[in-house]
Amino acid sequence: MKTTTLSRLWKVLRNALAVACGLVMVIVLLPSKARSQLGLDPCCAMMQIGLNTISGLLRNSVATPLGSIQQSQQQSANFEQQVVFPMAAITQARNMAVQFEGQFVQMRQLFQLPVASATLPMPQMLEQSLLSGNPGAMPQITSNYYSLYGTVMTPANAPQPVRNLVDMTDAEAQAAMKKAVEIDALANLELQAAEQINQQLQTAAPGSSTILEAETAAWLVRANAYTQSAMAELVRVRSIELANSSGQLKFSASHAATLQTTGSQVIQQGVQ
Amino acid sequence: MKTKTLEFLRNFQPRLSRRRRWLFVAVITMSLIPANTRAQGIGDLVLLLHTITITLQGPIGDVLTEMRKVSTEVNNFRQQIIWPLALINQARSFVSATRARYTGLMSQIEGIKNNSATLALPMQLELVFRSAQSGSIGQIPSMYTQIYQPVALSGIAQPVQRNLMDIDDAMSMDSLKTAMVSDQTAQSMLSLADSLEQQAMAAAPGSASMVTAQARVADLETQAQLAKMLAAQLRQEATKLAHQNALLKQRSVATQNLQNQIQQVLTHP
Repeated sequence: MKTTTLSRLWKVLRNALAVACGLVMVIVLLPSKARSQLGLDPCCAMMQIGLNTISGLLRNSVATPLGSIQQSQQQSANFEQQVVFPMAAITQARNMAVQFEGQFVQMRQLFQLPVASATLPMPQMLEQSLLSGNPGAMPQITSNYYSLYGTVMTPANAPQPVRNLVDMTDAEAQAAMKKAVEIDALANLELQAAEQINQQLQTAAPGSSTILEAETAAWLVRANAYTQSAMAELVRVRSIELANSSGQLKFSASHAATLQTTGSQVIQQGVQ
Repeated sequence: MKTKTLEFLRNFQPRLSRRRRWLFVAVITMSLIPANTRAQGIGDLVLLLHTITITLQGPIGDVLTEMRKVSTEVNNFRQQIIWPLALINQARSFVSATRARYTGLMSQIEGIKNNSATLALPMQLELVFRSAQSGSIGQIPSMYTQIYQPVALSGIAQPVQRNLMDIDDAMSMDSLKTAMVSDQTAQSMLSLADSLEQQAMAAAPGSASMVTAQARVADLETQAQLAKMLAAQLRQEATKLAHQNALLKQRSVATQNLQNQIQQVLTHP
């Protein structure tokens, strides 16, 4: 009985000893636990040195230039906001566009004031067509013109050269009147465009105003071209006027020569 | 101690069952594996730190240094070459000086009166049509008629002649009225030009383009008004030409009539 009990006790102790030995072996052989428990790991030291180096580099090689760049950009931004594009100056320029709008409208209205002055029916009709600024009224100008100034004489009433001269003069006079109507209509469109561009300028930015400036410049080129065409018409009117003077001088010379010849013939017949 | 341990181990092995022996070997193996892996991980970590250091020193550090240089150069270029504050202020001063120098002189020249009539009625008409006041347009017809007379009555002149007189008068008065309107708008344009100059005096390089655009718009307005004046001149010239031509037509018909009458007289003495 006592021997059996001792045998069992020994068996238990033997197993416990085996487990304990196994655990001790495991604990001893596990490297991580051994290192963390025994003090500073050389790996940690290396990491610390590496991280310190990186930190220093971040400070010197990255943070310092970045700070400098930020400072430079801030300075640049301040310069642009305070010197190049100050908000006050931009607002002031916009306000000027608002102020100009009223004056543009006023000027357009001034040119719309009635200036018609004819008193008789036929001149009134022609004048109305001429001042209409309506290119659709062109056919009326022709009929009103002939009603007022008459048509070219019949062949029975004038020699062909005189009829040609008269027709040419009528043509140029009518063309000039029609051109005046066209120019009025175009000028009205230009005034409208100017007002619209001005409205755009009231909300424009410095960057977009150059686009509006380019648009206005295009309109100016167009306006100059129309003015040039009107000047050409004026030159033609005066050329025809000058040609008429010359033509009439020629006719007078011819008539004088004919009269002289006829007179001489009559005198000679009287003498005989 | 060593001998005892060896003896224990020698006695220990036979005592372990086969299954327990395998368990023991597995525990020992598992314990040894992480040590090798960690060693390899530490090597990678050192390599990684080295790579980061090189990257920070080389590609990032050098580029940032270059960026700093470029940023500074751009900033300096803007402030010293493109928009130097001294030159901006100098330009503003120039505008101010130009304005001070010429505005007075131009106002004096502009203020010179060109009125030259000496008699009462012509003086009145001249005063009105040089007034640049569109509100006075209504006075033109009566003053004009007082000087140039109304259209001849129907018993005094033929209808054709009366029409010619009327259209000539009408075109003349229309142009005088248009000239008055034009003078008034020219005053407004001068006022706008003055505003533009004041704006230029206080403008910044960034807002100057807006002022320029505004000036362009005003320029377009002026061109349109100039075109309207040119249209008025065209009407005048055309009317003058048509008038001369109408007279030529009348003379031609009258001459033909005279010729016919002379022939009749000569054939029937």
